[in-house]
Formats: sequence, C-alpha cells, structure tokens
Amino acid sequence: MRQVVSPLDYSAWGARLGLLLVGLIAFLIAVNLGALQIHHSDWLQVFNPQNAYEGASYVLWNIRIPRALLAIMVGAALGVAGALAQSLFRNPLADPGLLGVSAGASCSVAIGIVMFDGFRFIPAEELRIWAIPFFAFLGAIAVCFCLDYVARVVSPGSIAGLLLTGIALNALAGAVIGLCTYLANDEQLRSFTFWSLGSLASARWMMVGVLFGALAIGWVWIRTLLQDLNALTLGENIANHLGVDVSHLRTKVIVLVATLSGLAVAWCGMIGFIGLMAPNLVRICLGSDQKRAVPYSAGVGAILLLIADTIARTIAIPAEVPVGIFTALMGGPLFLILLRQYRSRLD
Amino acid sequence: MKLQLHHASLQLGKKLFGPFDFTIKSGERIAILGKSGAGKSTIIRLIAREYQLKSGLILINGTSMDRYSSAQLSQIRGVLPQNTQIAFGLVTDLVIELGRVTAPNKVNQETIVMQAAQMACAEHLLGRTFNTLSGGEQARIHLARVFAQLWDANHGLMLVDEPVAALDPGLQYQLLDTIDRFARERNHAVLAVLHDINHALDFDRLLLVEQGRITLDCPADHHALEDLERLYGIRLEHLYDSQGDSVLVQVR
Repeated sequence: MRQVVSPLDYSAWGARLGLLLVGLIAFLIAVNLGALQIHHSDWLQVFNPQNAYEGASYVLWNIRIPRALLAIMVGAALGVAGALAQSLFRNPLADPGLLGVSAGASCSVAIGIVMFDGFRFIPAEELRIWAIPFFAFLGAIAVCFCLDYVARVVSPGSIAGLLLTGIALNALAGAVIGLCTYLANDEQLRSFTFWSLGSLASARWMMVGVLFGALAIGWVWIRTLLQDLNALTLGENIANHLGVDVSHLRTKVIVLVATLSGLAVAWCGMIGFIGLMAPNLVRICLGSDQKRAVPYSAGVGAILLLIADTIARTIAIPAEVPVGIFTALMGGPLFLILLRQYRSRLD
Repeated sequence: MKLQLHHASLQLGKKLFGPFDFTIKSGERIAILGKSGAGKSTIIRLIAREYQLKSGLILINGTSMDRYSSAQLSQIRGVLPQNTQIAFGLVTDLVIELGRVTAPNKVNQETIVMQAAQMACAEHLLGRTFNTLSGGEQARIHLARVFAQLWDANHGLMLVDEPVAALDPGLQYQLLDTIDRFARERNHAVLAVLHDINHALDFDRLLLVEQGRITLDCPADHHALEDLERLYGIRLEHLYDSQGDSVLVQVR
C-alpha cells in the first residue's frame, strides 16, 4: 500500500506568522497613538510602586492597553460568531448583525433597562455590570432559534428567505427599541443611549478577562465541531448520512453564536460587519475548510476591529467617532462585492 | 446486514407512498425502475432516514432503524444522492475525507481518500475546488466520498440515486462496474435507482415502482420484459450483440 505523505504546510505557517505579525504591529500602533504621548519608559512605570498610577503610564496600562485588548477580543468573538453563523446557515452572507442577532440582543437590553429601571433592583454595582450581558444573551439566543426555525421550516434552504427574516427581525427589534426609548424616563434613556451608541471607550481589564475566558472555553468546544461543520457544508441530509447528528450540532452552534455575539454586544454596543468581513476574507485567501476558516476569522476579526477602533479614536482628537462607522465603511463595499459574486444563489 | 421493510408507508403533502414490503440481504444488488415521479427516489430517501415513516417499520438486522444513532448507521450504510449543492467551495480531497467524519478508525485516512478517488475515476480531480467541477465530475467525487465512508465496512448497504445520470456513456458502465466491484469485495448490498433498463438487467433483482407503490419485485432477467413494456408504455425488443450478450432496445 502506497503511503501518502503530506508535505509540510508552509502556507498555513505563513498565514499564522503573518497574522501574528500584523496583529502585533497594529497593537503597538494602537497603544502609541492618542492625545497623550507615550514614551518607552512609561511601559515600565507600572512596575514602579511609587508612581504606577500617574500620567502616561496610567493611560497606557488602564486605558489604552485594555481598550486595544478589548477590541481584539470583541473582534475575535464577532469573527468566530460570523464564521459559525455562516457555516450553520450554509450561507456566506450570514452575519449576526445582518440576521438581527445583535439587534435582538440590543432590544432585550432596552427592555431590561426600561422594565427593571436600569437594573436598580440589583444592589451591588459589580453585579449590575453583568445584567446587560445576560439580557443581551437572552435576546441573541431568542433571535437565533427564531432564525433556525425559519431556515428549516418556513423557507428551507432559501438564502433570500433567511435574509428577509433577518430584515424583519431587525425591524421588529428596532420598533421595540423605539417603544422602549419612548417609554423610558430621562435616566433610563441616558443609560440605554450611552450603551447602544456603543464604543470600546468603557474598556476595563475585567471585560477583557471575561471575553478571553469565554473565547478560550468556546474554542475548546468549537474545535471539536469543525469537521462536523464541514460535513454540514455538503448539506443537512448528507451530513446525517455521514453520521453527524445535525440537530444536536445545530443547537450547539446556536448557543455558541448567541453567547459570542451577545458578549461582544454586551459592553460595547452594536458593531456591524466584522462578522461578515472576517470570515469571507479568510475564505477568499485560505479556502473554506472550517478547520481553518473559524480560527483565522477570529484573528482577522480582531485585527480589523483593532484598526477600526484606532482610527475611530484618533482621527478627530480629542473627539471620538463611533467605531461602527469605520466597520460599516469597510464592510458595506465588501458586502456588495459578495452579493455580486453569490447573486446566482440568491433565489 | 439485512434490511426489512414492513408495511412502511410515508406521506408527503397529500401524496401517499407505500406500503412497501421487501427485504434486502447482504451482497444483493437491486435496481429500482419506474417513471419519473413514481417514487423511486422516495424509497431511497425513506431508507436513508431523510423522511419520517407514517406507519410500518424499517428493520436493520432485526432492530428498528430509529434505534440506531446517525453515527452507527453511517458505519454500515452509505448514500449517494441525486444532485447536491455545496455551500462553500471545498477542496475535493476534503469532500472525500468527510466520508470518514465519524469513522472510529482514523488511520490511513489519506491513503483511503486516494484509493477511493482512484476507484471512482476521480484522482485527477483531487486538489480542485468542488464548485468548479462539472456535474459528472461532482458525481464522481461524491461516489468517492461514499467509497471512503464504507471503505473498511463489510456487509453494508449502499443506496444510490441515479449514480450515472450525469455521465457520458463510457463512464456510465465504468462507474457501475466500479460500484459493483466495490460492493462485491465487501459484500455490501446495493439499492440503486436507475434509468437505463440495460443497466438494471445487470443487477440481481428489479423493483418496479408505479404511483408510489412497488408493483413488481422480480429477478432481473428477461421474464420482466412484458412488465417493463407496460411500466414505461413502450415496446422492447430482445437482441443479441456480437459477443452474444443480450440487450434490450426500444422499438417504435
């Protein structure tokens, strides 16, 4: 029997190294740019107990670095959520924002803030910070199950049906959010608007830690599903013939997509198009094998959001432009290109 | 492997299929014939567990098929579907490798992929993107995928839905012979939907399907001639070629 030896995969190592290098450079640029000049010595000031919390060193370690890391984590979460949603719905145009998952999360947060009066019933401030992620998750998962039902029962296999459902859910969520803002009192309105305008400005080390933990745990789970997701690419029936339990796989992926996009939305509001851009860029460059597409989507999503956020906060110093503007500026044209490429499959 | 259908029936919309009653034993090769829309593919898909039974039973080795997990079934049963679209552009090697996604034995994967591709006359297609292939080439990759799935199984079952419909005549016989050889080497049973009567006569048994029911279950020989004429509403003539093999031709 002839033994087939696979050659060392240089392209995979090249992609990995390249991504790491680009990420590192983007990170260094991000933390050095800003209203306040950072000197090399400020990096080490944090280890000096006398003036650890002063001046440039404070800005660096408690504002710039957490913010850059949060951008990386949120971008990675959105990239993975997008890649998973696309493979679940077997549709390169699926994106948590486009499908209404983010809007569902946002809508649920609005209801929570208005109905529970800014979560005032939770006594401790440290616990209150968790109320928004929890509500975001509830909204995201509700929309995910709704989309899943539509994708299987109402209009099976139809890309147009799925995207139209996304539009309908977005409109519905928008209406409920509108109703909530109408009913809200001044303080609630401020609280919700502050959140939904969304930026990475409120970054804290705690948020970075939570998202990192969620991504790490998620990744351990996701990597066991990747080959099954490849099988799902062949179609639901074929995946079943090949021994994949499709309904279980579906539930797992929905929970993952909802958790990741819920967490991403939770602390920094709606950031669109990263979940669409990252996986599709990866697919164009490296092919559609999910074993590659999902992890690289995390890396590319992280870098894209880091770059977008760096531009957003430095282009008009001292003012800050919402980061969503730059992700949409990059994502909108890409979406149109994809639409053109896949137009034959839109019916 | 023994597959039994007991009064298995199915409802799709208002249309009723069945009840079907037949048994398939290891190594048997059965061809399903019938006009389009008669329910040939439906039988395949029913046994592939794509539909829920309305009533009756499907037994595999005496146990109801519902009691098997997808993974257990995939060890003994492969399905070659009619035509399918792949959502993303996967490399053909990966498509074939996916035949072994739930295989308990993961050693020699690449060798199996290679040999399955060779057997399905698709080795020259390795390394290409599935979506860029023609219909006939895609069918060969799917066939290689089914081969990879049942590569180290014995006494299994292959369900094939018009395996050669998209291929040119030369390749049709080549691939049918390949399916035949693959199945014989492993004592797999083959249940195939076919269009060409002469292809079907190379099998062991014929199932004739009309309006959602099996109207005849007979050995695949020329005694079925009259029933085939009635089934398709045509006249058939029995001729011998220069080698002395018999062929059926349609006469006007």
